[in-house]
Amino acid sequence: MTEERQNLVFSAPPDDVDAVHEFLETVWEANPGVSEFDRMAFETALIELASNVIQHAAGEGGVTCVLTVDADENGLSASLADTADAGGIVLMDRSMPDELSESGRGIALIQALVDDLRYERVDERNVWSISRARESGGS
Amino acid sequence: MEFQTESIGDDIVVIRGDGRLNMVSGPALREAVKRSVEAGRARVVVDLSRIPFMDSSGLGALIAGLKTAREKGGDLRIVRPSTQVSMVLKLSNVDRILPAFDSTEEAYRD
Repeated sequence: MTEERQNLVFSAPPDDVDAVHEFLETVWEANPGVSEFDRMAFETALIELASNVIQHAAGEGGVTCVLTVDADENGLSASLADTADAGGIVLMDRSMPDELSESGRGIALIQALVDDLRYERVDERNVWSISRARESGGS
Repeated sequence: MEFQTESIGDDIVVIRGDGRLNMVSGPALREAVKRSVEAGRARVVVDLSRIPFMDSSGLGALIAGLKTAREKGGDLRIVRPSTQVSMVLKLSNVDRILPAFDSTEEAYRD
């Protein structure tokens, strides 16, 4: 069974979440066994995470991130390490805001789409990790 | 991403984009809806058929557009969302206020 680990380093600005989408396209090409639904769920969660990091760091003059994605027979996982100050994003169980709210859904969406979402402060970096087990019956 | 607008009848506008609807393109959608509503077209259709991906920022832009249209007595309706866009709408419970229609004609049949 192959295991693929791939990395992306990006700085926002000038990069934005499109860099993450383009990077994931190469991950999916290298891992054709990942089901369409797993790709969609994982990509949505990872983009929410990256958007949150980029948005919260915008006032600090930008951020550099190192993104690592692993795909193996058990599932998908990603680690996003960023250079922003600590404590910019509060991680806790978030409920979905009401239908007419224009914001505040990012963390709730991530929690709905992955099995695990973690945050650690390591060597002056914020390290975010998400993982999602392969859907049962998936190839 | 740029959004194209097409006027239909007296008060309907169809807004179409081609690409991802996210924190990068969301502000342009908000602006396109606002311009159309201010020009007297408050019955807005957003054609999502060429939007393969939407995140919560993009969803926020759709909801902002819905409020803008309703403030002027109109509405915003969505047409042909992709599987990913439908998933985000459903997980957010926004499918309750933004049901998807199969065509522009169907969206404003009433």
